[in-house]
Amino acid sequence: MTVDDKKKLKNEIKELIIDKLKITHVTADEVPDDAPLFGQDNPLGLDSIDAIEIILALQQNYNVRIADQNLARVILESVNSIADFLEKEMVNEKQ
Amino acid sequence: MSKINDFEHKMGAHCETGTLTSLFNYAGLEITEPMIFGIANGIFFGYLETDTFPFPTFIVRSRPGQIRKNITKRLGIKLFEQKYKSVEKGEAALDELINKNIPTAAQVDFFYMDYMPEWQRVHINVHFIIIAGEKDDKYIVSDSYYPRIAELSRESMRKARWAGGHMPPKGFLFYPVNVPQKIDLKKPIIKGIKTACRNMIGLPVPFIGVKGIYKFADKVKEWPKIARDTEHLSHEIMKINILLEDQGTGGAGFRFMYASFLQQASEILSNSDLADMSKRMMKNGDEWRNISYFAAKIGKNRDLGTDKLEELSDLIRKRGDEEKAFFTELKKIIK
Repeated sequence: MTVDDKKKLKNEIKELIIDKLKITHVTADEVPDDAPLFGQDNPLGLDSIDAIEIILALQQNYNVRIADQNLARVILESVNSIADFLEKEMVNEKQ
Repeated sequence: MSKINDFEHKMGAHCETGTLTSLFNYAGLEITEPMIFGIANGIFFGYLETDTFPFPTFIVRSRPGQIRKNITKRLGIKLFEQKYKSVEKGEAALDELINKNIPTAAQVDFFYMDYMPEWQRVHINVHFIIIAGEKDDKYIVSDSYYPRIAELSRESMRKARWAGGHMPPKGFLFYPVNVPQKIDLKKPIIKGIKTACRNMIGLPVPFIGVKGIYKFADKVKEWPKIARDTEHLSHEIMKINILLEDQGTGGAGFRFMYASFLQQASEILSNSDLADMSKRMMKNGDEWRNISYFAAKIGKNRDLGTDKLEELSDLIRKRGDEEKAFFTELKKIIK
């Protein structure tokens, strides 16, 4: 994946989260790539119920199943970690 | 003392199976976490409505410790297991094991695992971790819920091992003393599947297995009558999400892990029907996850009218229908 493709993917992820969770107080540009998605260090400030909605949205949009909740915590740590996970899954899919 | 150098930390879907997997792998036995879960017939359902619980609840796996008992019995593994009333003796025993380079599992209260983010830490007395060394007066901990090796102070470990409350750890330690290096998994897999089928469709107990799922579907509609108020009801409804998805239940009430087990079992037994059943269980897991999401959503939004609880009840009932058909079919396949 090129740098531009990865940037595009991260933006897609931010838009997806904002759209699915119906967030109105923040735009995709305001969401940092590397800040924790959960807790107070991110303008989104998501909770564990939001997490399952993101898991379902990723499954629906990218055909990836995050079956293990502990792994989900690691994958959903930040926009960067979600993008890294999807990139890996896309590579696996091609192989 | 220092970290036990050749111990490899792994994340797991669930603390009990994750801990056992790491210990068995360290002892030289190649086995996966789903395989341990499946052989030990970890999959389960029980709707619990007793005086022990302040509000009805449900369980989606066999009771803590049962997986350990079943897997060791079926694979011929011998464990050292010991509880310690005395804090001094219990700490000394752990230190001695670290000195001998023996990675050892401990039962702890999850709340004191202070390397975890604060918002995730809740009091659960049946969390399992592995102590894989000691450095600068801190324990080196391998926790299957945490992505890296962690450190825990002696004080936190003491509080965690001797926490009070329901199912207290009482300083419990265990580690394998005899692990066969090569095991034919065929018979244990069949035994595990047969017992799982019996637990899910064969027990004449109205709150266990598929009967328990149906009971849950019926009873959830009555929860407003026993909840104190809307806040209490929303809390209990949101707990459905926590029990199915959060707190390390392996995702979708352990159904995804059971699907992985069936996939691996199909390869070992050369039985393609089991691979089909694995795909079916994966879809079943997706539907449990939808229940989890639905419950979380209506609970969070306090959208708890009769229509919503009827909808929730219908979703749960459909899982009962599917699991009844699934385990009936699985029983035929494994006969």
